[in-house]
Amino acid sequence: MSIRHGLLALLTRGPRYGYQLRAEFETATGGAWPLNIGQVYTTLGRLERDGLAVRGAEDAEGRHVYAVTDAGRAEAARWFASPVGRADRPRDELAVKLALALTGSGVDVRAVVQAQRASTLATMRDLTRRKLGVAEPAQALVLDAQIFQAEAEIRWLDHCERSLR
Amino acid sequence: MSVLDLRDVHRDFGSGASLVRALRGLSLTVEAGEFVAVMGASGSGKTTLLNVAGGLDRPTRGEVLVADRLLTGDRAALAALRRRTVGYVFQDLNLIPALSALENVMLPRELDGVRTAQARTEAAVALADVGLADAASRFPDELSGGQRQRVAIARALVGSRALLLADEPAGALDSTTGEDIMKLLRARCDSGASCLMATHESRHAAYADRVLFLQDGTLTESPTPSAPAHTKEDA
Ligand SMILES: Nc1ncnc2c1ncn2[C@@H]1O[C@H](COP(=O)(O)OP(=O)(O)OP(=O)(O)O)[C@@H](O)[C@H]1O
Ligand SMILES: [Mg+2]
Repeated sequence: MSIRHGLLALLTRGPRYGYQLRAEFETATGGAWPLNIGQVYTTLGRLERDGLAVRGAEDAEGRHVYAVTDAGRAEAARWFASPVGRADRPRDELAVKLALALTGSGVDVRAVVQAQRASTLATMRDLTRRKLGVAEPAQALVLDAQIFQAEAEIRWLDHCERSLR
Repeated sequence: MSVLDLRDVHRDFGSGASLVRALRGLSLTVEAGEFVAVMGASGSGKTTLLNVAGGLDRPTRGEVLVADRLLTGDRAALAALRRRTVGYVFQDLNLIPALSALENVMLPRELDGVRTAQARTEAAVALADVGLADAASRFPDELSGGQRQRVAIARALVGSRALLLADEPAGALDSTTGEDIMKLLRARCDSGASCLMATHESRHAAYADRVLFLQDGTLTESPTPSAPAHTKEDA
């Protein structure tokens, strides 16, 4: 997940303080990716360095407001317009694990599949429960993204299990 | 209180070379207010399980109790218990072609002996719950597959049965309509009813309190809700 682009997109809505960005990011995404404030300021520092945002003057409480630049606006638009490639996502540990279980010896592959499926299903149940509790449609959709990914994993596991027969 | 109790249930079909042992010593208890999902490959016995649980089919061996009463013996008593306590959504929907959607949904309440006006009101509410208020006067052959399925769900929901048995209730529905049905079932259970649902869809099973896997004629349970999630970060 690109925190950099996420924060940049929020800044295109208007100038924001770091703590505001953090809260808005978490609200929009239903708490799916909790940010710590350090990450937020590090990222803002890089946006500033790259000319995508500017830092305003210090206020009475020593805080700085950040605003997007024209280049930042263009970058945010480019981000929204570009599809996310499969290669941008982390490598699939589960597929690697199963491949190694299958090609090695002494590993009960079916047990690996069943344990994984039960765990993924439990995760899915937690996500579903959280989804029933959120009020914002955007938050529900972010949780749905994770639910559909979990579903795909379970379907793939079912497929693996049948192929093993 | 347990609403459904299956004790060491077996169900064989056929005999000799064509013997199919669909259920092999299966035990299951569903408590009041509990939503239980059963998953399993095609042919694993899900429909057989629901039919036996609802008294529509008899086990070859073992006991079935609904609302703490044994489903055996007296046909009339069995039929009455079934009708009063259980709402069914079947894989083949069994809507009556000569009745409108509303009349199909009214039917179980009229069999309960409820006045027609009351049955009509309740049926209209149940149809609205499944998003079909506008289709009440249409006949089954004037509805899409998914709409017919929702009429069948409304029919099972009407009259607040203690036990809902649902066989792939959202099978023919798109993802949002399917989820709306799951939310309805979830809400029913949250207000005290019990539901046993067979499904291929893990997204739907995720609405349940417990998910059971049917394999080789018996059930295995997945771990309780907050089981450890992924350990991808450990890499
Ligand atoms: N009346 C019957 N006579 C003979 N065999 C039957 C009968 N009903 C079911 N079976 C067999 O029992 C097994 C379980 O069938 P069942 O319909 O319960 O599976 P299911 O899990 O509901 O499958 P699906 O997901 O395809 O609906 C299958 O092998 C099926 O062929
Ligand atoms: Mg079936």
